Amino acid sequence: MSDHGHDHDHDHVRTVKPMVDEITDFEVLEIAMRELCIEKGLFTAEQHRIMTEYGEQIGPTPAARLVARAWVDPEFKKLVLTDALAASKEVGVDWLEPTGFGTPSDFYAFKVLEDTPEVHHVIVCALCSCYPRPILGNSPEWYRTPNYRRRIVRWPRPVLAEFGLQLPEEVEVRVVDSNQKHRYMVMPMRPEGTEGWTEDELVEIITRDSLIGVALPKPGVTTNVITASIPAIRPIVQ
Amino acid sequence: MANAAEREKQLALVSRLKATFPEVPEWPIPNVMTSDHYWAYQKCNQDQGGQLNVAEPFLEKEEEQWELMTYALCEVLGWTGIWVSEERRRIADVDMGLAMYLGLPYYSRWLWSVGKTLIEKQYITWGELTDRLAEVQARYAGGLKGRLPDAQPKFEGDGSKVKRNGAHIEALGKGDPGMYAGKAGTAAFKVGDRVKVRELPAMFYTRTPEYVRGAEGVIADVAYESPAPEDETWGREDVTPEWFYIVRFKQSELWHTYYGPEGDTLQTEIPERWLQAAR
Repeated sequence: MSDHGHDHDHDHVRTVKPMVDEITDFEVLEIAMRELCIEKGLFTAEQHRIMTEYGEQIGPTPAARLVARAWVDPEFKKLVLTDALAASKEVGVDWLEPTGFGTPSDFYAFKVLEDTPEVHHVIVCALCSCYPRPILGNSPEWYRTPNYRRRIVRWPRPVLAEFGLQLPEEVEVRVVDSNQKHRYMVMPMRPEGTEGWTEDELVEIITRDSLIGVALPKPGVTTNVITASIPAIRPIVQ
Repeated sequence: MANAAEREKQLALVSRLKATFPEVPEWPIPNVMTSDHYWAYQKCNQDQGGQLNVAEPFLEKEEEQWELMTYALCEVLGWTGIWVSEERRRIADVDMGLAMYLGLPYYSRWLWSVGKTLIEKQYITWGELTDRLAEVQARYAGGLKGRLPDAQPKFEGDGSKVKRNGAHIEALGKGDPGMYAGKAGTAAFKVGDRVKVRELPAMFYTRTPEYVRGAEGVIADVAYESPAPEDETWGREDVTPEWFYIVRFKQSELWHTYYGPEGDTLQTEIPERWLQAAR
């Protein structure tokens, strides 16, 4: 503060501690309820630990692997399109984990949407943020925002253009709103310039954004469209 | 803690929080209330599709530790049969009202729904929660001083007498909605049928978006059998499952002002109660 000449006694009292060192209201609430749940026997600390570890290890890698394998193996591609839950298992994701009936919020009904030269898919949950967490990890912040949810169902092409994706008029843009129990991900088309690539090489260019449908895989591009990330006050403890 | 000036300052802050149409005075008398305003208030907050919004930058963010802990808390409560996720969605997305829906961070609404549920289902009392909040605040009063906030339960309670739903047992090995397979009878519609989404006067909760109500589409897939979310959200286990359908709409028919190509489409999932045959 440079304006020390003013009478700022009141403000000094309230800003004497650095903000970042204070526990937040959210942390207080989460801790209080977790303690009460365990003390009331609603669940055990062990069950909470298992669910936390599950939540920490999910991410988009198996989804990219699933698509890469489908690109190189026509038989596997058939399985992906007819029984995506069984196909997920082949890339290490059992949708029944970690409870024996799956994650309560993601259900056990998964479909992979195959892009073709005629149809391009993009997913949204206009009602909340339904997302195929077990195979794609947690949704990005923008996917959860009212802005994306309000606009992608009504102005899909302008919104896709904001991600840098412009599709020809002849291609049908199909918005898939996962508003009930199905969870979806997109299987983009294998791009030109990847002839002879191995499954491992293909995995590198199948970004999370291309599995949501706001980007297309492209040789040389291995990152999502938006790379800048707002840091957390207290990020996840590894 | 708060002095008179601070009380006034907080009240002034709250006074600026708006939750009504600006053209209508607060606490309207009935004869200024129109039906379209009434249904705008009844609409489920979470149904955001098609609302107006200017373009804004899309952002990524790093997850907070408490956000992961909140996710785990909510999911473990589903795992152990305290609720099904549809109960959380109603409480966290609708019951809290539009001001909090749009005003609070995403996972803080999940957190809010846990407290509301635990008290309403009588697992804890208001006093137990409030005392514990004060206790945790006191534990970290004066700053964290390098500590990471974490739960310190005093003991592990006996869970054997805790009331739980049947779904968390019945779903084992089958998953949800697999657990309801064969329970909805014959499906009324088949792939390719033209259907119209009914315009029901839906109050309190639904997952049939307003932007498709009254619109006609085609059945793209007969999806699965399940209780409707309008029942699951109240924890009802005594209801008959019904068929769900993936319905495909033409964007040019869904929106009066769709200027994209004629071929563009949208799909969404709708339970049978919301559909009727179209020509």
